[in-house]
Order: sequence, then C-alpha cells, then structure tokens
Amino acid sequence: MSIDLTMAWRNIWRHPRRALLTIAAIAFATVLLVFMLSWQFGSYDTMINAAVRLHTGHLQVQARGYHEQQDMHLVVSDPTAVNRILEGIPEVTAHTARATAFSLVSSKERTYGVAVRGIDPVRETQVTTLKQLIREGHYLTEGDTNAALVGGLLAKNLRVGVGDEVVLLGQGRDGSIAATVVQVRGIFSYGQDELDRNVIYIPLPYFQEVYSMRGAVHEVVALCVSLEAVPRVKRAVAAGLKTIDEENTLVVLDWMELMPGLIQSIEMDLVSGLIFYVILIIVVAFSILNTFLMVIFERTKEFGVFMALGTTPGRLTRLLLLESTTMTLLGTIIGILAGSLVTWYFQVHGIVISGTSEMLRQYGLPERMYPQLSALSVVVGAGLVLVITLMTALYPALKVRRLRPVEAMRAV
Amino acid sequence: MITRALLVLGLLLFFFVGPGTSSKAQDAQAIVQASFDYWRGKASVATVEMVIHRPDWERPMTINAWTKGKSDSIFFITAPPKDKGNGTLKRGKEMWIYNPKVNRVIKIPPSMMSQAWMGSDFSNDDLAKSDSILDDYTHTLMATETHEGKTVYVIKLMPKPDAPVVWGMQRLKIREDHILLQEEFYDEDLTLVKAMTGSQIQMMGGRLFPKVWRMQKADVKDEYTELTYQELEFRDDLPDNLFTLSNLQNPRR
Repeated sequence: MSIDLTMAWRNIWRHPRRALLTIAAIAFATVLLVFMLSWQFGSYDTMINAAVRLHTGHLQVQARGYHEQQDMHLVVSDPTAVNRILEGIPEVTAHTARATAFSLVSSKERTYGVAVRGIDPVRETQVTTLKQLIREGHYLTEGDTNAALVGGLLAKNLRVGVGDEVVLLGQGRDGSIAATVVQVRGIFSYGQDELDRNVIYIPLPYFQEVYSMRGAVHEVVALCVSLEAVPRVKRAVAAGLKTIDEENTLVVLDWMELMPGLIQSIEMDLVSGLIFYVILIIVVAFSILNTFLMVIFERTKEFGVFMALGTTPGRLTRLLLLESTTMTLLGTIIGILAGSLVTWYFQVHGIVISGTSEMLRQYGLPERMYPQLSALSVVVGAGLVLVITLMTALYPALKVRRLRPVEAMRAV
Repeated sequence: MITRALLVLGLLLFFFVGPGTSSKAQDAQAIVQASFDYWRGKASVATVEMVIHRPDWERPMTINAWTKGKSDSIFFITAPPKDKGNGTLKRGKEMWIYNPKVNRVIKIPPSMMSQAWMGSDFSNDDLAKSDSILDDYTHTLMATETHEGKTVYVIKLMPKPDAPVVWGMQRLKIREDHILLQEEFYDEDLTLVKAMTGSQIQMMGGRLFPKVWRMQKADVKDEYTELTYQELEFRDDLPDNLFTLSNLQNPRR
C-alpha cells in the first residue's frame, strides 16, 4: 500500500503546473463556499436579531388565537403572573407588555385608521430599539399620560408635529367608545413604511384606562440571551404557563411563529445560494474530470506495460483513485485554511456594501454586515466539494479497467 | 325565403324578449324602490335598542335616530351612560362621528368605511350606503315564495360595472306589502358573508314594520347584532338643519 502511495504522490508531481492548477481550482471553490456560507449564516443572524429587536422580541405570550385574529377581546388578563414566570427564567434578559387597539386617529383636518399600541416606556427600551428610532421630539417617560409617539409618515399624513394634539377614537374592551386627545411627544421612523404609517404608541397604563382593559394586555414580549436559548426558554415558559392558566387560554410563540415571513425569506435565500454553489462545484468538477481524463490518455501506454507485467486492473484503479483523492484532499485542506482566514478577517472587520445602506435600513439592518464562521459553514462547503470531485474522479479510474494490455501498449 | 324568415324571427324575438326582460327588471326595480320608500318613509324618528352579541359578552345600546329622504340620517347614543352623546351623521355617502368626551367631530375616511360601526356587525358602509341598493345594482326577480299567506319576492341584486360597492351580490326578500324580510350580502365569490333578517312584524308608526332586525355573520354562529325598534314614527318632513355638523356637535333636542 505504501508503495502505491509513493507512486501516486510522484505521479501527481510529474506535471507540477497541472497538479497545482487543479489543486488551486479545488481550493478556490472551497474558499468561496466557506466564505459564502459563513456570509449567509452571518447575515441571517444579523437579520433575525435586528428583526427581533425591532418589535417582536424572541418570544411572546399571548391569548390563543390573538396572533391570527388580532381581536382585542383575546387578552392576557394577568400580565403580572406572566412576568413572574419570565423573571424566574435566567435566560430571559428583558421583558415588556403591550396592548393594541385599532382606532381612528384624527388631526384637525385628516383622519386615518391606525393601530394604537400601549407600551411600558421603561421596559420597552430594554426589549426593542424604539427609543433610538425617535427622530424628532422625545421618547415617552414613566408617568406620562396623554402623550404619544407617532410614525413619521403618519405625522406627515395627519400634518402634525411635536406638541400638536390628535384625537384617538376607537372601541374599548368592554365595547364602549374609547376616545381621548393625546399630544404628540415624539416622531419615530422605522424606515418601514408599514410601521411608520400605521402605528401610534401611548403609555400602557393610559391605554388600559382609555380602552377599559381592566389591567389586561395583549402580548408579553421577552428577549433571550441568544437565539439558541429560545427553544429552551419557550419550553420553560410553556411549563410555567400551565401552572397559572388553568383554562389553557395562553400560548407562547417564538419569533419564527411571530414572523413566518422572515424564515421564508431566509429559506429562499438559502435555496438560491445552494443553486449557485452547485453550479460552481460542477464547473470545478469538470476541470478535475478533464485533468484525470488527460492522465489516462497520456499514460495508456504505461498502463499497458503495467498490465503486461501482471498488475491487476483493480490496483491500477486504486492507484488512480489515490492520486485524485490526494489532490482533492490537498485542495480542500488549503481551501478550508484560506477560506477560514479570509472569513475570520471579515468577521472581525465587517463588510460595508456601498449603496445598500438605504435598503438595509428598510429591513432595520445595520450598515456593516459580518460573516459568521461556524463548523457548519466550513464542513458543508468543503464536504460538498470533496464528495463531488471524488465522484467525478471515479469515472476515469474505472475506465482503466477496460484497457487491454496489448492494445494499450500500442497506443500513442 | 330563409333570410326573410330569419328576419321575421329576429324581429319577433326582439319584440318579445327585449321589452319582456327589461320590464321584468323594471318590476324588480319597482319592488325594491317601493319597499325602500316604505321602510324609510319621507322622514322618520325612531328609538332603537341595539344589542351586540358575542359568545362571551353582550352589550346593549339605545340610539335615537332621525332619517330624511333617501340618504340623510343622524343617530345619537343615549345609553349606556358611558357612551351617551356619541353621534353619527350621514349625508349622501359621507359620514361623521362625534364624541362628547373629546368634543370633536371626525369624518370617517374612505378606508374605514368597511369597518364596524360602534363595534357592531353593521359596517359604516351598511349605514352610509343604505340607499345604494337602488342605484348601484341591477335588479332581477328570481322567485316568489309565500310568507304568512302573502307573496314574497326574491330579488337578486348584481352590482353595476362601475358601482363603488363592496358586495359581489345581494339578495332581498320583499313581501308584497313592501316589507323587507331579509337582506343577504355576498362577496365577489358569491359566498354568503352576512344576512340581515327582520322579524316580529307589527304595527309601528302607522304601518306594518318588522320590530326586530338581526344582522348575522355567515361564518360564525353566536355573533350577531340585533336592532329592536322601541318607538318609530313616520313624518312628512324634518327640518334640514337637523342633519348638519353643528347639530351633530350641539344637538338641539
């Protein structure tokens, strides 16, 4: 076996330039795959974290059916009990409660239908980035009553600025008419038209009073230490809910259930990435196939002599496979090392794609994106290259078995 | 010969079928028109109890209502005390609501017209466009039934091509004495969305009138809104200044 290995090694370096080119092609494909996969995983992490911090949080406790129907009668009637459960889980870093009602909002001249949300001014800042999104005026403070934060587009539509009054008119939880005048305290901008046009925030206690909520809320939002902790925390919360909610009216939803669109767009991106990778690998595979086919053609005479001397076709195949495996392994190892280095560099320094900051802001993403090197991104990329190139090399190696010694020796 | 025969046949068809269908449509239109005039009268003053019923709660409200002509009306809530003084004014296809607590009049924007009125199963559109069944639809007489010994016309209303309506079809059941028994609302796929049914027909304001109206959504069992007329009086006229924004804000009652 060791003689075979020596022969294989020497055979590879009979054409150093060709061997190097092939190894370089494999290495290059691996580098690309490692980097691109890390980039994709990194951007998903950034996207999820940004989306979670924007509004939804990692987990929410809601009344069963509220997420689908948005019916204001489906409430979490005792938020304090839910808070106690959340505070008992160390992996929950912050939590807050919110309530929502769809109402008419009217300035002197215009009226629109919007979602009025009651938020806890202090706790909200621990869970979401709302406070940083105030573009004009100020954020709410504890003890505020008839103060409101209005989306930038809504303020423009209503033609109101900081300090102006708007009327809210909707329906309370008991069916009564809820009406109040609030003063615009601040104007926020998410960069997402949907939110900037349709949302008004008022302090939660004031909301509960105006909309006759009797202390109830619609969602209790929790933030966890990391994405990986979410499933564990979800189980813990669900177990805790069982103890306080005998009628089983409450559910705990994670960010995937709250934002199914996010997971779908990630899946779509992953699939389109995969298609690109497969095309890349096929191109590389063809270059390897080419190398090994050339080997067979130019060494037909040599193989004929080997066979005439009594070498079995099986041993020849093994020799060729050893050659190809050695080259592929060399290529992938170099690729993994170089790829990881490149990825690691950008993981530390980040990448700014010029001209995309506007688009990224729309999705609430930071300007600078970071790839995320992980065992998965390294193994998947390199593994794919390894398997496909080895399979390609199989064809020429098996072709050798069909050679006849006499004819082969006559070949040019 | 053949062409001549065809020509005669064509003429015959034209004279028989042509005017025949249109007069049938006119019949249906006339039935709806007569019924509409009957239930609306020239002008009316009414006290109505509205009950919004949901599986886990129920909410009664008392409303004073004035209507005039085809499209003007004004309502004020008189009970429960928490909501007393809230008013709705409707002129033409436009609506305003008034809330005494904030002392403001708000015009309902077009985008909110399909929303529920005061949380009931009636939409703002149901109130604002109540006379659109005359102008925005073509009427066809589908069938006749009998109800308490009287003929009932079943009339199908299909929206005219450019009519600004949300329904794909409506079906009315009108008794021969002009009493509207049922109004069904269908969406564009012609599936039933909700239905309003009148019952307890009795003498009110000098004419036979269904005392109770129930608006029921088609897909949920235990959710409906019921209107019960406590008092109803038909008048020949009401002053125009009753249906104004200033009266909405400072009711002269």
